[in-house]
Amino acid sequence: MKIGSITKSVVLVGAASVVLAGCAGSNDAGGGGGGDDTYDVMVTAGLSAQGVLAANAQTSVLAAKAGAKVINEQGGIGGKQVELTVVDDGGDPTTAVTKLREAINSGDKPDLFLDSGPSTIAMAVLPVLKQNKILSFNISPAEGTDDPSKFPLNFDLAPGPDANNKGIAQFAKQQGYNDIGILHSNSGSGEAYGTAAKEQITAAGMNVVGIETFDTASLDMTPQLLSLKNAGAKVLVLDAYGAPLGHVLDNMQRLGWDVPIIGETTVSATNLIAKTPPDGVLGTPKVDNLVTQVFQSTVYDPDNEAVNEMVETMAGLGEITTTLILADNYDPFFLVAAAAEKTGNTDPEDLAKALTTDDVLDSAETAFLPRYNFTEDSHAANPDADAFQYVAPTKLVNGQFGNPEA
Amino acid sequence: MTIVLSGLALGAVYALVAIGYNIVFISSSTFNFAQAQLMMVGTFVAYTGLVTWDLPVIVVALLAAAVVAVIAGIEDLTAVWPVKDRHTQLVTTLGVATLLGGACQLIWGNQPLSVPFLSYNDPVDFLGGRTYPVELALIAAAVLLVAVLTWLSKRTMLGQALIGISEDTEAATLRGISVRKLALGAFVFSGALAGVLGLLVGPKTFAVATLGTALAIKGFVALAIGGFGSLPGCLIGGFVVGLAESLTALHWGAQYSSLMVFAVLLVLLLARPTGLFGRTAERVV
Repeated sequence: MKIGSITKSVVLVGAASVVLAGCAGSNDAGGGGGGDDTYDVMVTAGLSAQGVLAANAQTSVLAAKAGAKVINEQGGIGGKQVELTVVDDGGDPTTAVTKLREAINSGDKPDLFLDSGPSTIAMAVLPVLKQNKILSFNISPAEGTDDPSKFPLNFDLAPGPDANNKGIAQFAKQQGYNDIGILHSNSGSGEAYGTAAKEQITAAGMNVVGIETFDTASLDMTPQLLSLKNAGAKVLVLDAYGAPLGHVLDNMQRLGWDVPIIGETTVSATNLIAKTPPDGVLGTPKVDNLVTQVFQSTVYDPDNEAVNEMVETMAGLGEITTTLILADNYDPFFLVAAAAEKTGNTDPEDLAKALTTDDVLDSAETAFLPRYNFTEDSHAANPDADAFQYVAPTKLVNGQFGNPEA
Repeated sequence: MTIVLSGLALGAVYALVAIGYNIVFISSSTFNFAQAQLMMVGTFVAYTGLVTWDLPVIVVALLAAAVVAVIAGIEDLTAVWPVKDRHTQLVTTLGVATLLGGACQLIWGNQPLSVPFLSYNDPVDFLGGRTYPVELALIAAAVLLVAVLTWLSKRTMLGQALIGISEDTEAATLRGISVRKLALGAFVFSGALAGVLGLLVGPKTFAVATLGTALAIKGFVALAIGGFGSLPGCLIGGFVVGLAESLTALHWGAQYSSLMVFAVLLVLLLARPTGLFGRTAERVV
């Protein structure tokens, strides 16, 4: 076999592998649940995907199951019991769209659609959902997903990069930080985090000395960290998820770069920081300077009844293997139930309109975020500042930091 | 110097993958797409042996070598040998790579796992730069491995037989060399090597089910730069890729790293289509 032909073949096979990987991972049956007597909810998740995506998908599905269980015990949505269908999309947009179309074409289209990320899934399914007038909630905000003029029946559950970074800028300002370096991944959401971080930190009057990216498959971030260090960064704002977070922390230590690190929610979604060696880095000098942004519901609070009900229900349905930062899908059931209570029906357009009103947002007994603050002009989750907390990593108990039993 | 050391360590990881590709290629002209995944399995076995079972390093090394050698042997028997066409073997070995990725995820889960390095891995000062002991060990292992394998291929009958097969399989068969047994042996050996190296690669990369994919392409680029069939080429190719990646990220930003790596590959292949150390085979037409 000639070397030239091997090179060509490997390139071709490499390209084919990307396509095959994209096609892999579908198995669960789609389709809606019952008929008009039930409120059919479809949730897709990358349960068979690789890496941390699958673990997070499991938590996301567990949250949806818990939300459905609790709302059914409270009488359901608009007087109908919720029937939840879980579909494994393998983290692949093509599979997610195929499964959604199968459900629609079965003649029993879902009343509500929930995705479990990443944002590529949302971008793929949203046009189909819009075309078929299906109400939806999305956990991975991306460009336009919160824009009612583009997707009038979609609402983003996770606060977008702007909301997150507004919180981070506020925290940094309170700490008296300045000369901030930003390091983020080159994924779609990573780029959005980086841009938003720069904008919000600058808007808050602090100096951004540099902004660097890394490839999500990269094994070493020393060059990027050294660039930021050389630029005079005194604080690092970090978006990193999974193994890359470990590399960043290792490389910080290698450089002897001892500055405060503010982790985005992506950092708190990685279990590495919540486990002691040899499984993780908790308790080592690598995380001495690290605080991560989390939601109020990701931190244990014995007095928060709504959150504790969510956690107990989820734990009763299965093991919570990741942080509750991925438990967004618990809340849509309560938002829609409150909207249905107001409208007196489950028409998706009526529900979407009601979801932007103060009385519905006030009455929805959500737990993941205390209040979503959707408006007629923006379907982005825009929580108040107290929805965020900044915590040093601890061991996780049922997906929460700060539990004294940890 | 810190960046140079970090680039060399990264390059050493790519070189170790490329060496695995080369061992199989020399013996059977097969490109084993699953070689990086075999090394990934080695990192997971290392994690289980060192962390979960708390076994001595030497026992874990033997265990990792045995487990991955068996997997590589099964791969040869099921995905390579029955498939005579070399192009089709690329697809079947890719299938094995996908299976190994899925199996690792099922067995070891989705979160990155820390593989300890000899219970000590704090940064050290070296030649004016800062690095980790495991990174020095990776560089040393890659250099040593190339030196030993090159010596073996030139000075032993086994090595000569393998080179004979790579030059002309038919002639080697006529000289009494068991091509089939040697090809299987090379596959098993490359697997055993990948298993042992998992103990060194794991502390640098974490044991994670996406590792194989991350290493496969850069390992191939290292091989293509160095030249198919050349062990020193693997080493130089790996270091070129690692240094290009690190230095580009430092000076121009990480968004240009992969671009630079492939630019170097393209320029080099335009100048030397067989890679830095590859040889052009002449034939009568």
